[in-house]
Amino acid sequence: MFLRNRFNYLAVFILFIFSFILYNIYFLQIIRSDESIKIINSQTFDIVYLSAPRGEIYDVNNETLATSSLEPHLFINLRKINENNIIQYKQYLTYNFKEISSIELDEIFQSKEILYLIRNINDLNFTERQALLELDAFEIFDFPIRKYEFNNIASHVIGYIGKPTQEEYELYPDTIKNGIVGKSGVEKFYENKLSGEAGEIVFKGSEIVQFTPPNPGESLYLSLDINTQIVSTESLEQGILLANENFELEDIIEKGAVVVIEIETGNVVSMVSLPDFDPNKFVQGISSFDFNQLNRVQAFNNFAIQGLYPPGSIFKVVAYWLAENEGLFPEGVENRSNKINCDGDLAFSFNDGSQQVYNDWKKEGHGNVNLSSAIQQSCNVYFWDIALKIWRSYEGNPRESILQEYASNLGFGSLTNIDLPYEKSGVLPDRELFEEWRITKPELVRPEGWLGGDLMNLIIGQGAITTTPIQVANAYKTLLTGSNSSPYLNKELDKSIKYNNLDIDEDFINFLLSDLNLVTRQGGTAYQAFEVLGNRSNEIGGKTGTAQNPGDRNSTSWFVGIDSISNPRYIVVTVVEEGGSGSAVAAPISRRVIQHLIGVELTPVKFGEITE
Amino acid sequence: MRSRKITLLGPEGTNISVFFLFLVFNFISWFTLFTLSNDINLDFSNILIRQIIFSLISISVFFLLTYISVETFLRFIDIFFVFTVLALLLLFTTEPRLGVRRWFDLGIIDLQPSEFAKVIVILFVAKYLSEKKFNFISVTALIFLIMLIINQPDLGTGLIITFVVISMLFVSNIRLRYFILIFLILLFSFFVFLEFGIINENQLDRINNFFQEDEIDFQQSQSRLSISSGGFFGQYFQEIQVNKVFVPVETTDFIFSAYAYNFGFIGVFFLLLLWFIFFMRLTQILNISSSEFDKYVITGFIVLLAIQIIINISTVIGLVPNTGLPFPLLSLGGSSMVSIAVVFGITNRIFIENNLVI
Repeated sequence: MFLRNRFNYLAVFILFIFSFILYNIYFLQIIRSDESIKIINSQTFDIVYLSAPRGEIYDVNNETLATSSLEPHLFINLRKINENNIIQYKQYLTYNFKEISSIELDEIFQSKEILYLIRNINDLNFTERQALLELDAFEIFDFPIRKYEFNNIASHVIGYIGKPTQEEYELYPDTIKNGIVGKSGVEKFYENKLSGEAGEIVFKGSEIVQFTPPNPGESLYLSLDINTQIVSTESLEQGILLANENFELEDIIEKGAVVVIEIETGNVVSMVSLPDFDPNKFVQGISSFDFNQLNRVQAFNNFAIQGLYPPGSIFKVVAYWLAENEGLFPEGVENRSNKINCDGDLAFSFNDGSQQVYNDWKKEGHGNVNLSSAIQQSCNVYFWDIALKIWRSYEGNPRESILQEYASNLGFGSLTNIDLPYEKSGVLPDRELFEEWRITKPELVRPEGWLGGDLMNLIIGQGAITTTPIQVANAYKTLLTGSNSSPYLNKELDKSIKYNNLDIDEDFINFLLSDLNLVTRQGGTAYQAFEVLGNRSNEIGGKTGTAQNPGDRNSTSWFVGIDSISNPRYIVVTVVEEGGSGSAVAAPISRRVIQHLIGVELTPVKFGEITE
Repeated sequence: MRSRKITLLGPEGTNISVFFLFLVFNFISWFTLFTLSNDINLDFSNILIRQIIFSLISISVFFLLTYISVETFLRFIDIFFVFTVLALLLLFTTEPRLGVRRWFDLGIIDLQPSEFAKVIVILFVAKYLSEKKFNFISVTALIFLIMLIINQPDLGTGLIITFVVISMLFVSNIRLRYFILIFLILLFSFFVFLEFGIINENQLDRINNFFQEDEIDFQQSQSRLSISSGGFFGQYFQEIQVNKVFVPVETTDFIFSAYAYNFGFIGVFFLLLLWFIFFMRLTQILNISSSEFDKYVITGFIVLLAIQIIINISTVIGLVPNTGLPFPLLSLGGSSMVSIAVVFGITNRIFIENNLVI
């Protein structure tokens, strides 16, 4: 017979044992918990990492751009803090370092870290530091401080540093221990080279049992010339100021870029983007107010490699090259010296019978123009005629994109692969792209797709095409050297790698240089901007560009300059967003940079003649 | 066969609370093993994958047992008992592992007959108590089986079975004075075992050492530290975790230590509460069933599970010497999982035969 009351006795007995066990677990997990955690911490080794000094960054003349100085810092070993001495340490810190607020003090002592950085003690003398070390929990270690010697100058090239995000932890597994990572510029691109190896402080319990000092990062030698960089920054600032004075616009003009590259090597000598920022502000952590302020004006964008602008007339050299190479001149023109009459507009009809009239920027026309004077005066009609010739001869067959082929050989529409992060490639439109856009971005293209008018727009650098300043500089470099290669900031990289050799003969290069020289001479669009150079302007080459923007926005101001046509060494590309006429704004900025490059006295940037 | 009114989940029906708790205990086991697994291999070497496979086998066993009526058990229990004894005898033919003959090597699973002997003994004793035929022959057969297990040597399981049998006798109408007799027999047999070497010196030494020396053994002291560092909320949900102490065999016998480290006192309380709820559900049978057999079986199961949990936790927190006993439905291991699934499966069948579905 099953006896229920006996089962109850059994149940009470089992429950009693369970209560006893639960009490034992309660004792272990609640009463003894802190003590056990201490025992565990004293049994196991813990490694605290000490940031390594990042590699120095030098300019082409070994001028220091960024340094990491090791400065003594006071740390507190929180494992040595207990309820008996916490008051003593708190009092000591508040008494000796008055700038530490009580909130910060609580943060220090409530931190779960083992070693907490209290402050830089570079300002203390030797005896004061020794006095600190008499307290058991204080430790002094050298900690690197990044300093950017030229503040805002070259900030986009150098970049800035900051605490790594989750993604960056995965991207740079070796540098994670430093707790700091390059966020932009060469600081980011050369992160692995610059970061160095963090030091290791090994803890057993509260004692430091081993210390491996950090290994500094490798130095980086740039092709950038800080003197040129200063001049181009100043010139761009002056030019932007003048443009604001001379135009009455709703938006203020504030964005622009200057790129100077060495033709032979592709070395970047100067790269300016405005607005800029001071990377030193990021070293101690930038305030969110400052950050938002800078972010609002897009100060962190490097417009030299990220600014996407229609190139305008500076793109005409592509058609210039094509015309020479393929013998594709306006209807009835056989060679470069034959002239057409430009009376200010172009009336024509397409195969579908539609009548069109295109107006040149100069209403009264350029008169009789050949290829040279068309470049010199930036005559649109001449180049439209070339586009019409291409369209009428090749519409619908593969050769209709011959202009795009020539442009893409010069690097338009693709990345230059400069050694900087976040470069943008721009757009080189053709029939294929327009077909794609009809589906993906129908608001950007007409339903008919690619038409002759689009080609006519493209040939003068208007319409859907966008380019970056570095792309333009590299394209001119390619045209003048006959081979395409990447521009670089790192002086030590191998510069012999070329992508492809374009069959460009010496004669063509000489023609091109002398025609670009006409631009800065009397009758050229940039004559006024270079007048101040006197005879020396006979040596300078250039091309102005004024790219129209949709809506009420002012045009994008472009100028591509070449320091010397007999011995070309540098290409200077200037762009001012919504800066208006290229000859009035961008050309005088470039002129001042070229003055520096050829070693003549600098004269202030002057507002030039409005053309185009 | 008794008639059933309601069926849920499958043709023979399932008691929701028994099945639900069975699943919850499985999930807790998976999650605990997940915290211990840093293995990314998705094959049989991964402890989590292994336990999930064992769980799926256990769930199948649970449902298969739903089809076997209590009557069938009553009819065939003697044969099962004989098979168990034979299986235990067959162990003598196996190669000893670490000086112990306890397992049949079946490839992926080591079959441990003593795990299933526990369930068989409960059914066997319940049958003879309910039929009031608990006589000299059945007692002798029982003692023989227990001796075989102790002889493996597996003193832990032997003692658990003995305790479960005594508990079942206690709730029957056996006169209490007989318990004094049983106690004297146990004391006597202990010395007999000692004399014939069935309990060897090593086993005694372990017990002696445990109570004499101040320090418990390495495994248990590590386990105590680990549990203790779990604190109130456990380390699993902490942002900065305390280093995990190394505890040997933490996936099997000492899994409770990992569980307590990760989920803290709250987690331990929650787990024990779930078992308490489960035992409370089981006592319903004692209230409503008209079958004596059901009541004895349920009593046996409650005592069996409770004693295993008690001994396991006591070992892990260092209250008793190390016995090597798994935590029911938490430890990694096929034999243990399946034998507990048998307990839950039979329990389920008893519930549905009493028309209890919730």
